[in-house]
Amino acid sequence: MATPVQKKSFSPLQQTAKIAKWAVLFVYAAIAIFPLLWLTMSAFKTNFEIETSPFSLPAVWQFQNFINALSVSGLARYFLNSVIVAVIATLFNLFITSLASFVVARERFPLRKVFFTFSTAGVLIPIIAFMVPYYIVITRLGLYDSLLGLIITYSAINIPISMFIVSSFMTSIPKELEDSAEMDGCSFWQRYSRIIAPLAKPGIVTAGTFSFIYCWNEFIYALLLTSSRGARTVQLAIRFFTSQFRTDYAGLYAAIVLTMIPTVAVYIFMHDKIISGMTAGAVKG
Amino acid sequence: MKNGSLRSNRNTKYIILFLLPVTVLLTVFFIYPIISILVLSFTEWNGIEPITFIGLNNFSELFGNSVFRTSIFNNLVWALSAALLQVPLACVIALILAREVKGWRTFRTLFFLPNVISLVALAMLWRAMYNPEFGVINNLLGVIGLEHLARNWLGELNTALPAVIFSYQIYIGYFMVIILAGALSIPKTLYEAAEIDGANVLQQEIYITLPSIRGVIVTAGTLAVAYALRQFETTFLMTAGGPANRTPVLGLYMYRQMAGFHYGKAAATGILMIVLGVFVITGLQKIFGKTDAAADSIQ
Repeated sequence: MATPVQKKSFSPLQQTAKIAKWAVLFVYAAIAIFPLLWLTMSAFKTNFEIETSPFSLPAVWQFQNFINALSVSGLARYFLNSVIVAVIATLFNLFITSLASFVVARERFPLRKVFFTFSTAGVLIPIIAFMVPYYIVITRLGLYDSLLGLIITYSAINIPISMFIVSSFMTSIPKELEDSAEMDGCSFWQRYSRIIAPLAKPGIVTAGTFSFIYCWNEFIYALLLTSSRGARTVQLAIRFFTSQFRTDYAGLYAAIVLTMIPTVAVYIFMHDKIISGMTAGAVKG
Repeated sequence: MKNGSLRSNRNTKYIILFLLPVTVLLTVFFIYPIISILVLSFTEWNGIEPITFIGLNNFSELFGNSVFRTSIFNNLVWALSAALLQVPLACVIALILAREVKGWRTFRTLFFLPNVISLVALAMLWRAMYNPEFGVINNLLGVIGLEHLARNWLGELNTALPAVIFSYQIYIGYFMVIILAGALSIPKTLYEAAEIDGANVLQQEIYITLPSIRGVIVTAGTLAVAYALRQFETTFLMTAGGPANRTPVLGLYMYRQMAGFHYGKAAATGILMIVLGVFVITGLQKIFGKTDAAADSIQ
């Protein structure tokens, strides 16, 4: 039974808790999010403003900084490389993992469970530990310093996570849909291409989003497996900006902001999918 | 029945065909690499001359090297601060948002945002902020009258490692999101009942929320520690291991070996990194109970 005495006593605490929780949220936002806003704002300032009034809004918004960043550093080329690598690696990854997921989720065959475990266990391994073998493989295949080398490496690295997301999606599709389709004379390939793959589209899109963000942001293997302008990606470019923009902070910040646009844009449109994809596996009641 | 077996026979070649591309890539990029670093860790090889087996020499040389020992130690500091700073912070924020405060979805979206930005961009941003001459941090300290605390954050022996770790572990997005999802799945009726019994907000969090999401917290902790052990970008770009080799981590040490054509030592470092990960994670699970295996599959 409720005891009114106790109920009365938690009111001041409730008040303090309320203030405390808003304080925590705003302090955290100030530390984690403010720097990103500051970076974006600084990218629109002159170098003089960045030094003399680092916290005020730009007097005149300097869009010129972005044009400078693209032309001076040759960022456009690195941007193109990153787009090619991230898009093709993601599409290829989705194609092969949706094929394998279809079989794992919808067919019965010996070692099915073993194959699934084998295909998803890779997420537990720190991929960075494979520096030596990846370098050997890519060099031996004659793909060192090529976009194709990065495309293959990235689409392989993302297999476990994509397999996990896509196959769990495909498993949840009701069997009846497929049975009736087979009755209507659908071939094996058509069951994949016309029924299961379209129905699993939300899962495939989620996996694709993760893959794209990974590929766009990847640094270690881009660093290790490429050496020239023709194959380097934006993440490597950011690192070299530091020397190119030694005195031009505005240019450096503009360049960094440009490299963040694709993943932030994807996040703005897809954040619900990304967050639910993140939590789907982590919480089972 | 007969129809069923006929069908499976007919489909065998398709099944194999559909599994083939993934199998080939997994073999080349996961199976072969594991075997490769295992074998190479017992050898000396510079990539050109023939491979020579040297037994456990790589390992004894690694542990005899003070920079390597610093790297392992630093990785453990990273892991410890992930467990004592990053995850508790994620937990506090998640529990606040789980009470569905005004605009909690917006906060969730906002706090996760840095997770889609590259570690490279974040490292360069923090490097600019830590800059002793133009950096915002020293600037801010000056504004609030604490000039005496201003320093060369990444250049001084005592502040370099904490400064690098802080710039990474302030981003709790992923852990916050999974803990929040766990907390949101707790039935609201439990809180209502507790309220009737006179439990205050803090008591509710301690006696209802925390025990209910224990599994998710352990999962978040395990992942946070696992990520801390595979660190590379943040250190490489912010200090490159300096000052005076104070800040290297295993990933950076491995990269240096690789760049110096000591492939055997690099492979041995890779093996030790995996072993350390397995050791720490099974240790955590022994102490805190099992995590949800499915959660480990999501990076």
